[in-house]
Amino acid sequence: MTADTDLLKLINPALVEAAASGPRLLGGACRACGARSFPRAAVCTDCLSIDVETLALPSEGRLYSYSVVHQAPKGWDVPYVLGYVDLPDGLRVLAHIAAPPAAIAIDQQVRLALGVVGTDAAGAPLSTYTFVPA
Amino acid sequence: MTSNALREVRVVGTGLIPFGKFPDQTLAEIAWPAVREAILESGVKPKEIGGVFCGTALGGMLAGQRIMKTLGISGMPIINVENACSSSSSALSLGWLSVASGQHDVVVVVGAEKLTKFGGGTLPLEREDWEVNQGMVMPALYAMRARRYMHEYGLTETQLAEVAVKAHEHGALNPNAQIKKRVSLDEVMAARPVTEPFTLWHCCPTGDGAAAVVLASADVARRLEGKDVRIAASEVTSGLYTDHFRDMTWPELTARGARGAFEMAGIGPEDVDVAEIHDAFTIAELMYYEAFGFCGRGEAYGLLKSGATSLGGSIPVNPSGGLLSRGHPIGATGVAQAVEVTRQLEGRAGAHQVEGAKVGVTHATGGGIAGLDHGACSIHVFAR
Ligand SMILES: [Zn+2]
Repeated sequence: MTADTDLLKLINPALVEAAASGPRLLGGACRACGARSFPRAAVCTDCLSIDVETLALPSEGRLYSYSVVHQAPKGWDVPYVLGYVDLPDGLRVLAHIAAPPAAIAIDQQVRLALGVVGTDAAGAPLSTYTFVPA
Repeated sequence: MTSNALREVRVVGTGLIPFGKFPDQTLAEIAWPAVREAILESGVKPKEIGGVFCGTALGGMLAGQRIMKTLGISGMPIINVENACSSSSSALSLGWLSVASGQHDVVVVVGAEKLTKFGGGTLPLEREDWEVNQGMVMPALYAMRARRYMHEYGLTETQLAEVAVKAHEHGALNPNAQIKKRVSLDEVMAARPVTEPFTLWHCCPTGDGAAAVVLASADVARRLEGKDVRIAASEVTSGLYTDHFRDMTWPELTARGARGAFEMAGIGPEDVDVAEIHDAFTIAELMYYEAFGFCGRGEAYGLLKSGATSLGGSIPVNPSGGLLSRGHPIGATGVAQAVEVTRQLEGRAGAHQVEGAKVGVTHATGGGIAGLDHGACSIHVFAR
């Protein structure tokens, strides 16, 4: 969210951008039929058009479910919380939930953030989009 | 698929090795004893085998050839099938179709997997999948299903843990199970957490294993005598893609497959005497009770608690111990279930026999893939 995160290595830079107003998730909108996608679809799964433009998605959503993950492949900072966030436009996003488990509940409102979630093979921090309680 | 023009297919031989950890053996070394057992049990001659279908998810290229050449059985078409946890149940479906269609009179279906080659921990998932790159692991996917189910239906962590207790009560009676011991509710609850609300005992163990069946036309089966178990339905389906809302308390893929399989077999859930279903994690068993129609939505714990799904109950589920206890070498699971149910229907399941079972169901589903309930699901109905 701050200049610091600009220096961090993003797991998948195509999924999120750091705007001045805060991070924004990047999805897709089909120019032919309007269907939205996350991640941005190369081909529209509703109409097979390849004319899918990048679209900034809503930054708040509702936590559908979550789990505290204690066992994961090397590189992740365990334990971490993983959850599905439903955005107001209907898209569902898998995300790290950056909050203590005690502060997390199903159906709570969450908002987009950026955070460090692990390290790469060289030991450098890896960051990605996350959600935090709104 | 309609069955009008298809021939009856029977299971004429079964083979299974006790599941476990065999890091010093090759995949072929793990698998050939199961294939040999199935062939010898069937009474068919190796030269009668018209085709081989081999299911493995992570066994590498030409697994079927590597296994079969060890037995000196070669030259026929050998088809290798990968469909994640449904690999060998998908191979079973192809084997069934090849006999039902008249292509072959006798085929071997084998499932084999060696997971110890990856070390321990959660299964290696496909890194091209964007959810995997954001930290998804299979136990987390099921744990999120569990959390939502608990939220919607009031299921508690203690109640969920009872699924593991029941699985190991059954598995303790099965000499082929990877974990042959009972576990108490306290032990399940106190074990180390994997993906909350799951502790270690909520998760199937990883390991190695192999299973095989010989399928034959009814004509061949009559010659062999005493081979009365037929495949009444064979169903393979894939998940429906969406990147939008999904009800994670309802396994639509399994529900769809179960409807199709029951329709093909001309039966309903009330006709099932024994079922081997894909209990990779505790919540899965409960959700699949509902998807198969053994009970209504939200009623699964009540069914478990009633004892109906335990040995001696009205619809014993996973008398073998299931994936939680027998183990889940993923590509081997589907055929292992087929071996189990065939032996149940033939009355030779030993200490975990379901008395008088005439109709059995197997169900293998899985594959963690973004946007799908699961990648694949294969359901078979067996009857005698
Ligand atoms: Zn479109």
